This record gives sequence, C-alpha cells and structure tokens, in this order.
Amino acid sequence: MPSTNHSNGLNGNGNSTLIETRKLCKSYFNDELETPVLFDIDLTINKNEFIAIMGPSGSGKSTLMHILGFLDHHTGGEYLFHGKHAQEMDEDTLAKVRATRVSFVFQAFNLLPRASVLQNVMLPLIYHPTIPASERLERTKKAIEAVDLTDHSDYLSNQLSGGQKQRVAIARALVTEPEVIFADEPTGNLDSTSGIQVMQALQELHSNGHTIILVTHEQATADHADRIIELFDGRITKDTNKFKTRKAKRENSLKK
Amino acid sequence: MLLRDLFSTASKAVTVNRMRSLLTMLGIIIGVGAVVLMTGVGKSIEGVILGQIDFMGPKTMAIFPGNDGPEGGSTTMRPDFDALTFDDAEAIDELTTVTSIAPVVFVPGDARYGREKADPRIIGSSPEYYLNQNIETSKGRFHDAKDEESSNYVAVIGSEIADDLFFGRSAVGKRIELADRKFTVIGVLKPVGMVFFQNIDDRIIIPLSTAVNMTGRSHADMFTLQSTNGFEIAFADVRALLRQRHGITVPEDGSTDNDDFLVRSAAQAEQILGTVSISLTVFITMIAGISLFVGGIGIMNIMLVSVTERTREIGLRKAVGAKRRDILLQILIESVFLTLLGGLIGIAIGIGIDFLLAKTIEKFLAEYQFAISIGAIFLALAMATITGIAFGIYPARKASKLHPIEALRYE
Repeated sequence: MPSTNHSNGLNGNGNSTLIETRKLCKSYFNDELETPVLFDIDLTINKNEFIAIMGPSGSGKSTLMHILGFLDHHTGGEYLFHGKHAQEMDEDTLAKVRATRVSFVFQAFNLLPRASVLQNVMLPLIYHPTIPASERLERTKKAIEAVDLTDHSDYLSNQLSGGQKQRVAIARALVTEPEVIFADEPTGNLDSTSGIQVMQALQELHSNGHTIILVTHEQATADHADRIIELFDGRITKDTNKFKTRKAKRENSLKK
Repeated sequence: MLLRDLFSTASKAVTVNRMRSLLTMLGIIIGVGAVVLMTGVGKSIEGVILGQIDFMGPKTMAIFPGNDGPEGGSTTMRPDFDALTFDDAEAIDELTTVTSIAPVVFVPGDARYGREKADPRIIGSSPEYYLNQNIETSKGRFHDAKDEESSNYVAVIGSEIADDLFFGRSAVGKRIELADRKFTVIGVLKPVGMVFFQNIDDRIIIPLSTAVNMTGRSHADMFTLQSTNGFEIAFADVRALLRQRHGITVPEDGSTDNDDFLVRSAAQAEQILGTVSISLTVFITMIAGISLFVGGIGIMNIMLVSVTERTREIGLRKAVGAKRRDILLQILIESVFLTLLGGLIGIAIGIGIDFLLAKTIEKFLAEYQFAISIGAIFLALAMATITGIAFGIYPARKASKLHPIEALRYE
C-alpha cells in the first residue's frame, strides 16, 4: 500500500475542510427544458472521511458525486475545494485537479479493453503533471500489489473477472495517490464475495489516509462508511456520522 | 503528457486494428506509390533522352530535304529529295557559326561476307561525319581525305554489323561486299545502342565520293553539322542562307511553310523535353493532390468512427486527468501516423515497382537506368503529413471537446 502524506489519524472530524458546498444546485438543460436534479446542497467534508452517499435511483447521488469529483459542473450555488471555487477553474486546471487530487472507481469499471492490467493502472500517470516517467513503473507495481493482483499484471483486462476488474480500477484510482477517491456503486456489478473484497480494499485505503466518497443504494455497502449522507429527490434528507460511536467502541474494547 | 506517451498511445491505436488501418491508408498508399513510381519512371526516361542528346552533342544539327508541313497543321511530309546540293554544304561551311558540315548520301543494299549477310544502313559521308556524330572506333581507323579523294572502296562498320558478319573475329582488313561491290573494312565502331529510339550500331560508313559514284546521286540526303556555342544563331544563319540560295520567299508570319528543308537540333529536342517534363510534373502533382485528398477523406472518416467508438475511452482519459490538448494531440498524431505510415508504405511500393520495371526495361534498352526522384519522395511525405493534420484536426477537436461524464455514459 503506498504511503500517503495525508494525516494518518482517525480523528477525521474537526480536521481541515476538504470539500464545502453552499446551496449547490444542478439542473440539466435539454433544449429549453430545465430538469433540476439537485437542490441547495450544503455539505462539508473533511480530510480522511469515509462517506457513503445513499439514495434511490434518480435521487441525484451520482450527479452530486460527479460534481464533487470535477467530472460535471454545478449550475447554482458554490463548490469549494480546498477553499477554491470550482466554477473559477478553467479546463486545464480542472484537468490538473482530476490528474492529481481526485480519482474515480466506476460501477462499469471503465478499463481499457485491449490493454494489460499494468497499462490500465499506469494510465493516469501519463497525464500526471509532476510524477516523472521514471517512477511510473514502480508506482504502478505498488498499486497493483496493494490490490493483490501482482500475478495478473500482464493479463488483458477483458481476461479478468468482475471483482478483479474492479480491483484494477481501484489500483488505477490510487496510483496517483490522490486526496479523494470517489467510488460510484463500486460493488454494483459484483457478486457478494467480490463486493466484500472491493469494500475491504477501499477500507484499507481509508485507513491509509485517503478520503473515500462512495455512492451506493445498498445498506450493507454503506455500512462500511463512517458517515452516511442520504439523498432523496435531489435534497439531503439525512446526514449521520457514526464516527464517534465507532471510536467510542474501539476505545472501550481497548480498555477491556 | 510526454510526446513519447502520445506516440506510443497513437501507435497502439493504429496497430490494434491492423486491417482497418491498412484499408484506411490504402488511398494514401496508392497515391504516394503512384507519384513515386511515375516520377521515377519519368526521371529514367529523361535520363535516357538526355544521355542521347549528350551523346549527339548539344551543338549537333541536322538538315533534311523537304518540309513536314505547316507548324501545328497536318504533318504530311512534302518530300523534295533534290533540295540539298553539295554546293549548299560548301556555302554553309563558310558560315562562321558552323564549325563543320558533312553531307550524307544513303546507299541502298545489303552487306555480305562469305555466306554471312547483314542488313545495314550504308552511309556515304565525308570524314567530318565522325566528328559531327561523335563516333569512336573500337578497332582500326576512320576513312580520311585521301580515301575521299581517290573514292576508295573502304568501309567503317558498326559493332552490330561486325558481330553479324564476323562473330567477334577480327574484321579489320577483311573484304566484304556492299551493294554488290567489294569493300575493305578499315575500322569497327564502338557499340552505342539506341539513340532516339533508333539503333545506330547497324551503320556502315563509306567515303562520300564512293557513295556518289555508286548511286549517281548529285544531291545530299541530309547534312549533319556542328555549330559554335550559340546553336540558335547557327540555326537562324543556316536557315537564312538556304532560303536565300533556294530563292524561298518567307511568308509574312515568318513561318517555315515555304521552306524546302528542315533544320533539327539536339538542343531543340532538349527544349521540347524540358516542356514535356514540366507538364508531366504538373500532371503528377495534380494526381498526387487528388489522391491524397481522397485518401484524406478516408482518413477523416475512419478517425471520426474511431473517435465515436472510443468515446468512453476518451471520457476515461479525461476523468483521470487528460487535458483537451492531450486528447487533441493524441487523435491528431494518430491521424498523421496513419498518413505518414501510408506514405512510407506507398514510397516502398513505388520504389519497388519502379525498380522491377527498370530491371525489365533494361533488358531491351540498356540506357534505361533505375531512378527515383528524391524531391518527389519528400514532397509526398510532406503532403501525407499535411493531409493527416488537415483531415485529423476535425475529429481531434471533436474528441477533445467531449464532456467527461457524457463521454463516460456514452453507450
């Protein structure tokens, strides 16, 4: 597992703010027709949180995640990342943020079909502005090792099972050591065993200091997270932080 | 993103779909191949003709009796075999712009040595003929003024005649029969092959006075002459002199319609060749332009298909941090890669066919040398690259502007 420079402690709350949204709105425009999907989202996410965004399909949870991950633009309100306004970033800055600060794990894996595991995991590094080419292979191998796929490095991605594919996607997401890893229904296309493996991998990333934001509609998946944000019809209906309970439990068990 | 990454990504994309890439490149391959082949063949032919002009010497002129009709009109010959007299030749020799002149009388008949027989062109001419025609012997000597004076029955024979009659054995000093008269062979000419698509190794040259005696001709069948440097001045001088001597009135337009003689020169041929060469170049460039344009459309078409097919891949690349420029360059380099590779394959095929063609033609025409036009190759490569950029820019821009999440959702 690649070490990170981020805070390694579990005291996520009260730590420095990573993401902040104020009355964030999103509408899709089809010709003249406006279809609103997110309303007045107020959200503060700190470094090293493990968050699950839950909600039925159509609730806007994926859209919210895409906006937070700089893949989509919001149409109202404010989105601040490290205190910087997202709407003020130009195309190249957005590309740089995507290359260095955030990464995604998709439900549909989105691997390059005719490329090997190694090539797939290495892909983000060729767009990384600061990591030198000489470090690529080493970093790639480390990331593959972190998801236990070293034996499969030379396999083509379409020779892998669903669970293996998603682990490749996770390796690809962590190879640049981003601050936030977004996961959009990462277990949605997987059987339960593979799903558990994938969630364990994400949890390990979290314990190594990464901020994890995942979208799911499965309670079992969401239970891995420390904080669950529930969305319904484009609005936050519930925001529960289980962190303190957990911490308390752990401290109790240590006392015994 | 490093340039190296761009190239490796582009080359992977091209090599993954080999058959499609090849078919896409076909237009470029054929276009570039055709240009390389045609310019190569053109250069070879030019080389042959220039070689012959060189051989004749740029200052060589020939005067024939008769007229080939109005310029640009019908080309029916108006023969007038008695137009050129030996006095004309002497008068022309007086011109300061003419250095030497040799009247020619053709003698009909065959050549025999024992039972062997050959079919030569028997040329009666003065010793200046050798100089004018740039002839060299491989054995023996030319005939000289003495032979001319005493109308000796001596012959200088072409290499082919020597082969036909003597099969490589020594010919000099042998007695042969020409048009049923006995001649002594005094020299054998060096083989030269074809000049202006005419075999000149089948010549037999005898003294002019002897030829006149044999045929009873009082007129020349042609003059060959050498001019001083400015052949155009000599050209005009000779023409003016002959018109004056023959009492020819020049039409108002200054054309040669009324002349009873024709003046031809090697330099004239060179000029015509230059004109032909320029129009050939223009023609080939047009063909190249059209085929590269058509090939370019094919490239653009397949690049658009390829961009559409890889919409999700482009979305993913953007999601992991690719800039617009990275995507733009990737598609553009892919397109240039296709046209350039097509261009290189086309050049290889063009040179290959050109070479095989040259090897085949060489068997019939020894002067035909394999040649390629380096300029045309570079031009073809440059045009292939420009085609790649010109027809790749639209698909590349289209790809670079894709919205990441929409591209990722593309089915």
